[in-house]
Amino acid sequence: MGPSSQLQAADHQEEDDGCFVALTEAHLDIPAIMDRVRSPEAGAIVLFAGTTRDNFGGKPVKELQYSAYNPLALRTMLVIAREVRAKHGLKGIAMVHRLGVVPIGEESILIAVSAAHRQAAWRAGEEALEECKARVEVWKREEFGGDEGGVWRANRDGAVGQKVAEPEGGDGAKVDQ
Amino acid sequence: MASKPPTGHFNVLYFASAGSYTSKQVEALPAPLPLKDLFGALESRYQGFRASVLDNSLVTLNLTYVDMLEGDEDESSAVIIQDGDEVAIIPPVSSG
Repeated sequence: MGPSSQLQAADHQEEDDGCFVALTEAHLDIPAIMDRVRSPEAGAIVLFAGTTRDNFGGKPVKELQYSAYNPLALRTMLVIAREVRAKHGLKGIAMVHRLGVVPIGEESILIAVSAAHRQAAWRAGEEALEECKARVEVWKREEFGGDEGGVWRANRDGAVGQKVAEPEGGDGAKVDQ
Repeated sequence: MASKPPTGHFNVLYFASAGSYTSKQVEALPAPLPLKDLFGALESRYQGFRASVLDNSLVTLNLTYVDMLEGDEDESSAVIIQDGDEVAIIPPVSSG
């Protein structure tokens, strides 16, 4: 683990030659992630901020919660960062995902890339995000509130997630009469 | 993230829908266990788990993805889950 100046003990991060990846339960810090990739050789920094939406297909979402397989998610994020950095000749790439409850409208993921020229930075930023969404071992649960309960979202189909099976009142919870 | 399993056991981590289905995040199962018998062992503990969750999930063994496809006699049938190993059920991911 690298130096963790302003990061909390619960945070997880890895660093490697122009690549930085992290998972945190804290608010995401946009100036800090830009500073991670800032370089005198760069002519562009592209920053993507993913924010939590208040609905899914028109259905109101009350709250979102993210969980992760921390060591594997970090490993996958670092693999993606290395791949994208090499492919697009980036000066730097940093990716941070927030975990736990993320209130509506706040950032859940930040990706920053720096490159000598803007074209490579735009392309690399998009590719890094798409690879993250397809591969990183992080899961989003959307809470609808009321009797609706929640669902675990799946990026790969983008449609309905798997309904959360609640232990009480489920198949296995028979009450003796 | 999970504490070490007791001697003679391995840990199974249940993420997302797998955790909701089992109402657990982690559980220790007796080792050794052939990898090809894992889904059967889990299904016998949680009826319907296979069709609801496992068939749509990937599996890691000590942070490396393993092939759960049956019929691959050279690969999956040879892998044995050992004492102290960490297995994880990985449902479709949804970062971002």
